[in-house]
Formats: sequence, C-alpha cells, structure tokens
Amino acid sequence: MSGAVALKAAYIVTWVIQLGYLGYLLGRYRKVREEMKDLKRSS
Amino acid sequence: MKSVIWIFVFITVALLGFGLYQALVVAPTEQTMGDVQRIFYYHVPSAWTAFLLFFVNFIASIVYLWKRSAGSDAIAVASAEVGVVFCTVVLVTGPIWARPVWGIWWTWDARLTTTLVLWLIYVSYLVLRRFAAGSQTQVLSAALAIFGFVDVPIVFMAIRWFRTQHPSPVIGGGEGSGLDPTMWHAVLWNWLAFSCLALLLVMVRYRLQRMEETVEAAHAQLALQGGSR
Repeated sequence: MSGAVALKAAYIVTWVIQLGYLGYLLGRYRKVREEMKDLKRSS
Repeated sequence: MKSVIWIFVFITVALLGFGLYQALVVAPTEQTMGDVQRIFYYHVPSAWTAFLLFFVNFIASIVYLWKRSAGSDAIAVASAEVGVVFCTVVLVTGPIWARPVWGIWWTWDARLTTTLVLWLIYVSYLVLRRFAAGSQTQVLSAALAIFGFVDVPIVFMAIRWFRTQHPSPVIGGGEGSGLDPTMWHAVLWNWLAFSCLALLLVMVRYRLQRMEETVEAAHAQLALQGGSR
C-alpha cells in the first residue's frame, strides 16, 4: 500500500466510523421517540 | 436551547473542516515518511479524545457509586460508548499508517497491546450494560469502569516505560522528540474539533439513554397496571 492510498484510507475510515456511529444514534433516537409517542397514545 | 445546540453543531462542523485543511494543506510534509505521516493528525487527536472520554466515564462512575444518580450513570454509558468509537479510530488508523512505514499491519508491542486491551475493557463494559439484567448492573459496570480506567495511564506511559516499535512520544519524550511548531497547529485544531464532536455525540447518547430509561419505566408501569387488573 502506497503512502497516498494509506492517507486517503485512514481519513475515509475515520469519517465512516464517526458518521456511521452518528447515523446509528439518530436511528435509535427516532425509534425511541416513536415508542414514546405510542406509549402516550396507549396510556 | 435548540438554537444553541445548532450553533454548536455549526461550530463543530467548521472546526472539523478547518482541522482537515490544517492536516492536509497547512502542515508541512514530513521528510522521511512523506504524506502518510498526515495520518498522525487524526490518529493522535482521536487517542487523546478517547482518553478524555474514558476519564469522564471514570469520574461519572465514581459519582454514581457515591450518589446513585441516574444522570451520572447515563453520562458514564454515553462517554464510554463514544470513547470506544474514538478508540476504534485509533486502532484502525494506526495499522493503516504502520503498513507502508513498518511493512507490517500490527506488532504486539507494549503501546499497541495495551491500547487493544483498553478497547476490549470498554467493549466489555458496553456488553455488560447491554446484556446483563438485574438491579446491580449499574453498580457492577461502574466498578468495572473504575478498574478499567487503570489501563489509560498504562497506555499513555507504555512508550515511555518500554522499548516499543511505536514512535516516541511527542509530549515529554525527552531530547530529540517533539514536533515542529507548524505540525502542532494541525494536531491541536483536530483535537479541538474531535473534542467538540465527542461532546455532541455524548449529548445525543445521554439524551437517548434517559429517553430509553423513561420508556422502560413506562413499560414496567403498564405491565404492573395490566397485572393488577
């Protein structure tokens, strides 16, 4: 692996990990909000 | 309150962009390694951010054991999870840098091994939180977090205490170590940007934890009402 490829790979992987985690959090957040709305409706 | 958060999001995105610019454009090219050395500007700030988050987890765990407050427990979970994310970045970017420079992806030297152990400790903490049932889960995980934090200074000092393949420290490494001042800007700007991003992620994760606790309590309440009828 050349230096330039390694540099690009490292930066892309960093962003994929961080944005992937943010996406995972927002997905869970949306799910819990819907669950809260359902609970309010049923109570 | 919402507008303050959006301003903070904007500042974080701007800092991340500026950090990237500092790392790829402003920082000089290292003479021996060339451009691959620029991985350092993401690798090191990620490691420092992970240490900071594990420290927050350590303090929040102590506070939880002392006060038994749900808020400090939620801060502990949030900081551990985000810390694992940043520690993962460290463990992935390190080998990507090592392959062209050392010719190998990984070696079991003190710094690399203790970092992997650190990651495993906090992954264990998260697994315990996720799958253990019962009223003592929070207490057990707080105890694990306090003992687990012992590895953070060991990781930090590993390259000072032992002869390792990992490069020598940039802070307090003695004569001949350290960084060019122009390189410092890239490191510090990226650390500031990653710290802001980490704070944002911890805030979202904290809010999520509290909401999940509310939903769980509501489900338990509904089950009790259903059972008593």
